[in-house]
Amino acid sequence: MFRLTIEKSLNHFISANNTDLTHIDNKVVSFRVDEIDLTLFFLCLNSRIFVIDSPQHKKVDVSLITNNASFLAIFKGASLEELLENEDIEINGSVNTAQQLASLLSSSSIDIEELISQYTGDIVAHQLGQAFRQIKKATIKNDSSIISTLKDEITTALIAPSRSKFFKGRV
Amino acid sequence: MAKTTHFGYKEVDIEKKQGLVKGVFDSVAGKYDLMNDVMSMGTHRLWKNYTIASSNVKEGDHVLDIAGGTGDLAIKFRKKVGPKGKVILSDINDSMLFEGRKNLLNHGIIDVDFVQANAESLPFEDNTFDCVSIAFGLRNVTHKDLALKQMHRVLKKGGTLLILEFSKVENQMLEKIYDLYSFNLIPKFGEFFANDEDSYQYLAESIRRHPDQETLKNMVLDAGFEFCEYHNLTGGIVALHKAIKA
Repeated sequence: MFRLTIEKSLNHFISANNTDLTHIDNKVVSFRVDEIDLTLFFLCLNSRIFVIDSPQHKKVDVSLITNNASFLAIFKGASLEELLENEDIEINGSVNTAQQLASLLSSSSIDIEELISQYTGDIVAHQLGQAFRQIKKATIKNDSSIISTLKDEITTALIAPSRSKFFKGRV
Repeated sequence: MAKTTHFGYKEVDIEKKQGLVKGVFDSVAGKYDLMNDVMSMGTHRLWKNYTIASSNVKEGDHVLDIAGGTGDLAIKFRKKVGPKGKVILSDINDSMLFEGRKNLLNHGIIDVDFVQANAESLPFEDNTFDCVSIAFGLRNVTHKDLALKQMHRVLKKGGTLLILEFSKVENQMLEKIYDLYSFNLIPKFGEFFANDEDSYQYLAESIRRHPDQETLKNMVLDAGFEFCEYHNLTGGIVALHKAIKA
């Protein structure tokens, strides 16, 4: 259901906006999020995106390795170059191709926090989302780098005990 | 010695299976939708909605619904492709096509084409469709490998194949309940609602003879598709195989 929701949202956006996908046609881009053991393969064919669980025999053109925070940041429109500069992401292959897909992901208004929370079944995603919103406020106020603020807030969110753990045995 | 194949639990001459399946569907066509609702307690509508949601079909697409029967998928596809697209409902059985035509007219749909065709030799040019679907039909095809190759042939590059079919139940407890239900109650429902116990006995048997999820996935890949994955629905009572021609 996780992949289907992303696939549907992307294709709805592509169809509604008549998005040109020729630059990523016939390419496979993979996203790996180690912390939640999630790998997604995006395949572009016939003017639509397929989100598949395995590339089978097809070569992966670009692979991105992210952490929770940078994965979320991509969906919120963060620049891959900035994420690379801050070593929050690893890209093997064309950064341009990866950026084209990342731009699609951020434009499609996918509620990734909700999806991740369903996938992981815990509260980390919500904490990440909250952190991201705080970062946005902070960067507007202080005009500081979004990435450095992101790092601090995400670290806080990840090391803090989750609500489910905190309440274990107390309810 | 004549080659044989299965028709439910019976072994029959391979040349005779198509006629026997035709007999079943001629008999059940008039009550097909009612029986689907009764047997699945309405769940078949959710399975079909999930299939449509997985299809990635968009405005202007060309869709072929094989073994489309009474047209419930075709109606939904027609809404998705809009006036610029095209939906073809095909079925080998003229009684089912007749019911499909009646059903679509009742929904005010007049621009879906009807084609009586055998899935093993589809009368369409190569690379024609963006999506090919077959819901609860592949089980009844004699040469499934041939039919899958034909589906691959008529799909465009990047086209999607959707196979919605009964499959292997994952949970042993559920499997026991399901066996009791399908071998004892379904034929009785058939007798009560459609005055036809034998056809629904065949239905229960044919489901058990159909390839399981992994076997069907490998058959799809062998037919030339580069990607195939399946999603179990209702504990594997039904599985949706989704394949992409790359």
